[in-house]
Amino acid sequence: MSQRVALAAPVAVALALAAYPVVASGYEVRATLQIFMWIVLAGSWNLISGLTGYVSFGHVAFFGAGAYAGAILISKAGWPWLAAALVGGGAAVLLALVIGYPCLRLKGPYFAIAMLGLNEVLRALVSYFEGLTGGGNGLSLPTLDATVPIYYVMGLTAVAVTVLTYLIITSRFGLRLMTIREDEVAAEAMGIDTARHKLYAFLLSAAGPGIAGALTARDQGYIEPISVFPLATTITMIVMVLFGGKGTVWGPVLGAVVLFVAQEVVWARYPYVHPLLFGALIVAVVLLMPRGVLGILQVRYRLPRTI
Amino acid sequence: MNVVVTPAMLGQVVISGILSGALYAMVALGLALIFGVMRIINVAHGPLLMLGAYATYFLSTALGINPYLTVPVSMAMLFVVGVLLERTLVFRVVDAPELSSLLLTFGVSIALVNLAQLLFTSDLRSVEYLTGAWVVGPFALSKSRVVAFVFAGALTGLAFLFLGRTKLGKAIRATSQSREVAMVCGIDVQRIHLVTFGLAAALAAAGGALIAVIVAIQPEMGQIWTFKSFLVIVLGGAGNYPGALLGGILLGLIEQVASLFLTTQLSEVVAYVLLVAILLVRPTGLLGGRQT
Repeated sequence: MSQRVALAAPVAVALALAAYPVVASGYEVRATLQIFMWIVLAGSWNLISGLTGYVSFGHVAFFGAGAYAGAILISKAGWPWLAAALVGGGAAVLLALVIGYPCLRLKGPYFAIAMLGLNEVLRALVSYFEGLTGGGNGLSLPTLDATVPIYYVMGLTAVAVTVLTYLIITSRFGLRLMTIREDEVAAEAMGIDTARHKLYAFLLSAAGPGIAGALTARDQGYIEPISVFPLATTITMIVMVLFGGKGTVWGPVLGAVVLFVAQEVVWARYPYVHPLLFGALIVAVVLLMPRGVLGILQVRYRLPRTI
Repeated sequence: MNVVVTPAMLGQVVISGILSGALYAMVALGLALIFGVMRIINVAHGPLLMLGAYATYFLSTALGINPYLTVPVSMAMLFVVGVLLERTLVFRVVDAPELSSLLLTFGVSIALVNLAQLLFTSDLRSVEYLTGAWVVGPFALSKSRVVAFVFAGALTGLAFLFLGRTKLGKAIRATSQSREVAMVCGIDVQRIHLVTFGLAAALAAAGGALIAVIVAIQPEMGQIWTFKSFLVIVLGGAGNYPGALLGGILLGLIEQVASLFLTTQLSEVVAYVLLVAILLVRPTGLLGGRQT
């Protein structure tokens, strides 16, 4: 019975969301599109940081890289946006390979700090290659109203990231990642090629933000370095995952929905206090409920780990 | 881009590199101390530097104190901030998995930057003092940078004297080598953590106070210093305190030499490529692993 509900509920929600653009206003579709985007971003961050315990402080870099790759292909080469979005994801994975290969071989905070710097570097590079990227002036895409199709693609990406998380968590690959998180030396002693596993998780975690970045660029029709590389985006996805429950399937989804709605309804009125609150929220969650909301529920109600 | 490099230009670059390298070394020594003693990378190190810069700004503009006289005051203030941070938050994650300490200090750093934005606004501020340069032969030495170099050199020297000669300093190095053995020898490790964190915050504050005279002050000025300080300790070898000196000077030199050939826009890219290259080729740093 409960298994049927567990399967039927998400399917029902997915069907309702698929029909939603028919009845909803433009604003409502856009807001839901944003929630999908946050699910993609938070879910992807969870893949590397929630599962392996390696904190990425610069995940927005993949979002920005995807946005620029997609926008350049659309505006300079006339590509259709769907293909450009896929290439945007590919570009982000490529970037992850270049950064991940040297930084993930080592233990410790090397990876975290390398990711902290990556964002600034990409921003500087975008300004430097002005001819291609438009530099500080930004890059305008040809006008096209594709919000509804983008809504579906972003929604599918969100579903894909969540399903991928479920598949990983229930697989041997996922168990190995979680072993690395709990004790990397022990994982190595058991014969797990830790560097390679971390790298795979990292590559998977870069694809979603890259696609989401390219889709967002297409939807907004204009990008500039400040709009696609904000540190605030990384902070928000981290807060969403920590709040919902890192290392779980539904935690990032829960965090994305709750915090996005809270952000729209409450915190938008206090724009300056909001990032300060996020900083405080990270500290509070780390100290007071390191497992997040879902983690607490899992322990209290003995829910399966695959939630 | 064809650049003819004359010996005078090269000399100028080497001098500028060493001048800024000493600052890097001093600030990075703070980060290295925390990492060595507590095994934590303090992501909030750069924002602490930013607070030090604001302390100097307000002391020198509101009270009219000579900005260089504010350096010790600013250091003392941030020492207290560091001690409070350690006692309220950081000590809780000393033995926790790395994820916790990184996220906690990241949260603190975001909170500090945004608090500064609320209290001080994002306006660029500057301390007008000692502008211009001394001209020695073919070289131009920016006055504020030379004074910063002297201060940084002296403070770093004092820090090493403290670590090498005093009982407390020796206890800090002992804790850094092995916390368990230090504890068995009767060292109060909790207190050592407290002092180390305060000292590191004070070194960051000194850096902030000195660059307050050189560059514009704003709430987000600090983050890049966390990154650069980390790069310095990777260059010198993590947990290797003299290595931080070498790493700092090297980073200064490399950035300046790169600025000869590339636009300054790309100096952060150069530093980044350097980090990735070092991690790829020699992850233990140029001087090798831990020694204190």
